[in-house]
Amino acid sequence: MPLDRQDERSDAQLVVRSLAQDQEAFGQLIDRHASAIVNLSYRMVGNRAEAEDLAQETFLAAYKALSTFRADSKFSTWLYRIATNKCKDWLRVKRPGQGQYDLDADESLDLYVTEDRTPELLLSQQQVAEELERAIQRLPPLYREAFLLKHVEGLSYEEMEEILSINGDTLKMRVYKGRVQLSRELAALNQMR
Amino acid sequence: MNEHDLVIQRFLDHELSPEERTAFLRAVDANSDLRRRWLNLEMVAAEAAQLPKIVPSAQFLSRLKAQVIPAPPSLLARLCAAVTAHRTLEWNFAGAMAAACVAVVAVAGLLSLKPERIVEVPVTVTPAQTASFGAPSDPKVFVRLILVQPNAQSVSVAGDFNGWNPAQTKLDRTDGGVWTVTIPLKPGRYEYMFVVNGKQWIADPLAAEDAGDGFGSQNAVLDVAI
Repeated sequence: MPLDRQDERSDAQLVVRSLAQDQEAFGQLIDRHASAIVNLSYRMVGNRAEAEDLAQETFLAAYKALSTFRADSKFSTWLYRIATNKCKDWLRVKRPGQGQYDLDADESLDLYVTEDRTPELLLSQQQVAEELERAIQRLPPLYREAFLLKHVEGLSYEEMEEILSINGDTLKMRVYKGRVQLSRELAALNQMR
Repeated sequence: MNEHDLVIQRFLDHELSPEERTAFLRAVDANSDLRRRWLNLEMVAAEAAQLPKIVPSAQFLSRLKAQVIPAPPSLLARLCAAVTAHRTLEWNFAGAMAAACVAVVAVAGLLSLKPERIVEVPVTVTPAQTASFGAPSDPKVFVRLILVQPNAQSVSVAGDFNGWNPAQTKLDRTDGGVWTVTIPLKPGRYEYMFVVNGKQWIADPLAAEDAGDGFGSQNAVLDVAI
């Protein structure tokens, strides 16, 4: 059985145990999916503290509504749907562009660098990653959301359709426009150097 | 979106056939403008895929879990709970026989002590248990089957134990769309499937083991032992 099918199956088992009032089981679901939800939220709102608050709201909403979860859907897909809605609600209230760049993220970038890269290349790749992070934050939220799910989270268009309840052609167009906008910004950065 | 943009888009989304991919790569090789536009978009996708992942903070995880996992109760609370808890009697043949034996020995002991008072006490435990569970060589174990199907109208189970007749064993719906049934089974190995809404046959997603049914599907396998 492929690994993701096994994960799906054990997620379903953890959901059943959670419904039977086994809170430890929901704790395991948190451990499995916290990273994905925090990262998606962080890149949607651009601030780590806000991202963790939104991820917390996502898991608590999922916990309260667990009895409405449809077993024919993946648990991760359901969580992504709740998280994207929470992020868009937050953006509607706060308006995009008001979030500040998170200094914690710079630390995690430093931690990410492996030792086998030369300093010149390291600097260049780190700069590209930083610029890409900033450029993603400048995308309109709906394009940002589609680009993140496709290229950062690595989801298929079928999964994205289920998460966002938007048809595949619209999603492909949003991802395409997001890519074009980001490539223009990175190309402009190269020309300025 | 012009023709070049469209084909780049489909290339990045892995939607081109092998022949179309070959034609696209030839076009890229021959057309420097197309090559530059493609590489710029390809770089964005590649860089995005390897953006660093944030590790959720320990405070975040502990704060979140504290809201869904209650703190362990104090010793006093656990003691009170143990004394006042409702208990469900789980009945099986071996236990019933043991209880019956204890009852017979106790009655015999009392008879030997005070026969004039105890002689009319009816010893009905053993026949009642025998009628419920069959001969002593035929013990049964109660097995609970669970399926989560919030949208189902009905769920039943068909398997070796009921002649693969789903009408014979229906599951009851509980809160949250969880369907359950408890059935008495003799020790042994059984194959079964759930039947949703009377027509959709599905294997038990929680079964510890599957077995091919000879028709291309998988039955769930249940091993019952005492």
